[in-house]
Amino acid sequence: MGRMRFLCDVDRCIDCGGCVVACKEGHQIPVGVNRRRVITINEGKPGEKSISVACMHCSDAPCIAVCPVDALYQREDGIVLVNKDVCIGCGYCFFACPFGAPQFPKGNSFGARGVMDKCTFCAGGPAENFSDKEKRLYGQNRIAEGKAPLCASMCATKALLAGDADKIANIYRERGFKRGSGANAWGWDKAYNKK
Amino acid sequence: MRRILFVTLIMFLLLMAAVYSAENDTVQPIFSSSKYNSIENYKIITEHFTGEWQKYGEPFTILQKEYVRKIYFWILIAIPGIFVLHYLVIGPKKFPHEGNKYLVFTVFNRAVHWLTAISFLTLTVSGLIMIFGKYFGGGGLVRTFRYIHFPSAVIFVPLGLVMLLMWLREMIIAPGDITWFFKFGGYLSKKTENIMPVGKFNPGQKSWFWLGTLGGFVMAYTGYYMYSFAASTDNLRIYAIIHNFLGMAMLIMFLVHLYMSLFAIKGSLKSMLTGYKYEDEIRIMHCRFYSKLSGKDCSK
Ligand code: SF4
Ligand code: SF4
Repeated sequence: MGRMRFLCDVDRCIDCGGCVVACKEGHQIPVGVNRRRVITINEGKPGEKSISVACMHCSDAPCIAVCPVDALYQREDGIVLVNKDVCIGCGYCFFACPFGAPQFPKGNSFGARGVMDKCTFCAGGPAENFSDKEKRLYGQNRIAEGKAPLCASMCATKALLAGDADKIANIYRERGFKRGSGANAWGWDKAYNKK
Repeated sequence: MRRILFVTLIMFLLLMAAVYSAENDTVQPIFSSSKYNSIENYKIITEHFTGEWQKYGEPFTILQKEYVRKIYFWILIAIPGIFVLHYLVIGPKKFPHEGNKYLVFTVFNRAVHWLTAISFLTLTVSGLIMIFGKYFGGGGLVRTFRYIHFPSAVIFVPLGLVMLLMWLREMIIAPGDITWFFKFGGYLSKKTENIMPVGKFNPGQKSWFWLGTLGGFVMAYTGYYMYSFAASTDNLRIYAIIHNFLGMAMLIMFLVHLYMSLFAIKGSLKSMLTGYKYEDEIRIMHCRFYSKLSGKDCSK
């Protein structure tokens, strides 16, 4: 079985926020929870780059390692999912995650955290596929429908790639090859034919 | 003249500021292509995610995954095991409890002690249930204990503060306290004569006191941030490590305290309930305190 992966081509991402909106809207995610976000560096300066980040569905996922109740698990295709019935909202996965992916809705009494929510690669959760419960707790299950995740499908510049690790790595490699090196591929030097 | 000097000074300062900011200007020339390659970008971006993962996130992950639960497990097995051995081999300290009674703990002392004790016990139990959460199946049950953990801490902190002030004087380290530790105060001997002279509290009690109060405040501080997320991710990671490892030390001392008061010294629980201790017990166990109380020499 292939391994599911996200890959964001920073030379293409234009910080339009389409992926963020698609995800929030499609899964009806509450305010304050961002399964995906776009980070921009050097904003307004030469060398500005943007990248869209969500859960990276790590191979040896740190979040799974630290969860005290084993609420997190990894599917055979590499997608890391959370069981919201089991999660106690301790936040350890957030401390362990290198990408700040786990999200915690506020709103219970005394500002207590709710249980963890994060990107599911649009693959739902442990509840039965297409059930009401799955939809309510985890959002749409597009993988079971045979579709790609919302964010990647929505991406206007096709910067955000999602799918089988080998295939998207090949796409990225080919792109890099065609546009020259990764260095400032669409920069002024190209536009003004500067040698 | 003064005015000219003044203006020159201002100009000079402005010039310095301009030079300084020009030197620190990070804007790069537009046509440098080597500066902005993808790998560099990913490096910068990674720092934006959640701080220095290698430095703090990875240690947290490894400690949490490999050690925390195991160490807590072994503490819960080994420490009581040692106590069972101690109880069987050396046995509890029993006193005939004859002679005068002395009021050692006032109503206020006892109230503070027991209220702190209850909140501490709640913290310990709920904490342990979280650590071993997977054996309780996680979910609603364990989550409830997590919710109990926080208000217990809110109750614990002011009480701990009162306790700190209440016993501060008696708990200050006294001469001989260090040597006491090398011989475990004589508690490894069957003979009560070997118990070393101490004041109102022995060094074991003192260390529990300091760990329980000051350590408790550190636990509360780190715990508050773990609960509220109101710190940078790197700090949260450090706090989580401190919280979990300091918790081990506190659990050990708490178990020792439980054993000494419930099993190792008969009548100790009762004295904390009634406030009274018998003369013979104080004379042997808290020799120096006895001298002060009665004016008599404690060695007799
Ligand atoms: S939540 Fe974080 S640690 Fe877990 S799989 Fe996703 S990116 Fe990796
Ligand atoms: S917040 Fe939930 S999923 Fe994350 S470590 Fe805690 S129990 Fe596990």
